[in-house]
Amino acid sequence: MAGISSGPATYIYACTRMRVRRSLLIPREDYLRMLNMSLPEITRFVGETNYRSEIDELGTSFSGINLVEVALSWNLAKEYQSILELVPGELKYFTASYLRRWDIQNVVTILRGKMQGVQPGKLREVLIPAGRLDKVALDRLLTEESPERVVEALKGERFYPVIERELPRAMETGSFAHLENELYKSYYARLIADVAEGIKGGNIFQKYIELEIDTRNIQNLFRLRAGHVREDVRELMIPGGSFSVEELQRLSGLEDRDEFIDALKRQVRAVPLLNALEAIRGKDAIHEIEVALTRVQLDQMERMSKRYPFSILPILVYLEEKKYEVANLRALARGKEAGLPGERLQGYLVM
Amino acid sequence: MALRDIKPTRSELINIKRRITLSERGYNILKMKRDGLILEFFKVLQQAKDSRGALMERYTRAMEMIALAETVEGAIGVKAAAFSTADVPAISLTSKNIMGVVVPEIQASSVRKGVLDRGYGMLGTSAVIDETAEAFEDLLEAIIEAAEIETTMKRLLDEIESTKRRVNALEFKVIPELTEARDFIKMRLDEMEREELFRLKKIKARST
Repeated sequence: MAGISSGPATYIYACTRMRVRRSLLIPREDYLRMLNMSLPEITRFVGETNYRSEIDELGTSFSGINLVEVALSWNLAKEYQSILELVPGELKYFTASYLRRWDIQNVVTILRGKMQGVQPGKLREVLIPAGRLDKVALDRLLTEESPERVVEALKGERFYPVIERELPRAMETGSFAHLENELYKSYYARLIADVAEGIKGGNIFQKYIELEIDTRNIQNLFRLRAGHVREDVRELMIPGGSFSVEELQRLSGLEDRDEFIDALKRQVRAVPLLNALEAIRGKDAIHEIEVALTRVQLDQMERMSKRYPFSILPILVYLEEKKYEVANLRALARGKEAGLPGERLQGYLVM
Repeated sequence: MALRDIKPTRSELINIKRRITLSERGYNILKMKRDGLILEFFKVLQQAKDSRGALMERYTRAMEMIALAETVEGAIGVKAAAFSTADVPAISLTSKNIMGVVVPEIQASSVRKGVLDRGYGMLGTSAVIDETAEAFEDLLEAIIEAAEIETTMKRLLDEIESTKRRVNALEFKVIPELTEARDFIKMRLDEMEREELFRLKKIKARST
């Protein structure tokens, strides 16, 4: 936990740096231009932006679309690590807490890979060291022989108690789904606990956490409906949002989709989310619904960051927007490679 | 069977007549079997056409979905989700009999799974992974169904071919040869009878 409270000057400095970095992100017009480019043109474009050093560095190991994708991931990881070094005091503490989700993703991938006997080299390709566990720490985990040894090596990490508790069940069933869900739930619980500790700026961070949890829960409700899951969904919902888990369970029990959307709308106050829910009514593909909700979340975050310009929010907005820049570039490259038409690709970009 | 190898005796004639009857009966039965198999084949052919169509459709959808998943989640996200697969579908083979042709019946378990049974967590993945997994489950089901139907069709075709060969052999070789042998023996026996009669008449004329 961060012990030193930093003054407003450092906050202003960090938040201003974030705004500068945000201004360097690829603008909407460039995405629209890229929609009409071929894959080599996109690769060249990416190589001429902030991603140049990664493209050059990885050029000998990867080629084509894989080069683009790995370079984007490496750049994201590097950028996140540099921001973690840049932000002061409580902001660093909140940022580090926020970035721990990448640790969960990496650790779960390593555990699954170890369980399936995947070679460390192959596993390394799918890790994104953007969290607290850097490349060296992840490499050390990769050298461990079994999932149990990986968990042993994680002793001292925040999520160790959850992994230690859930690993026997995962090993017995051969499925890490429950463990993964529990890790993410504990991640959010920990974020909320951090806020409750009374650290300066915590109330603003809490607003973001609530928004994130609500978005995730609503997205998951749509997913569960599409998967015809009618059983108890309480275990799959993240507590701590503006909806209680019981409310979410009741919503998941609604048979009719329109009735479900209406019930959701009755509980939501934010106008952009209300509009998005109304627009979702006509959509069938769940990933389109997810993209629509993600856009609303980003939009809301940006509004909040303007309301609290010298808080954790501008940093989080930048981190999220950077994540979606990487996702958009990857989507463009992958989409072009797969021959998806530009209009369709545009639907998956978060701009 | 060369005619010179045939012994023109009554017992041989009886034997050949018996073989002709047997061959004709076999020929009729095999012809009926062939016609039955052809009817069965056309039924399976329609099913095969339908299943092949469904297979192609599902293959296209699965490829589209994997491209989409790689677009949205990246190859990294898709690979990470793919590591979650813990339960490999099990395939069991039994057999059934269609007019004497043994054809396989393929049963698969754990092909179609619920969102919660696929091994990845709901909170760390997105819906496009669900839709892709579902598209591939559909494809796998279609492959298994097509494998059963197309193997049945192939076995039926092989059997029709061999039955046709047998029918043709009986119709154009065995039965005509036996008939020819029967006629030859009959002719030889008649000839021998006439010779015998003529010989007796000659002996009788000499003695009188």
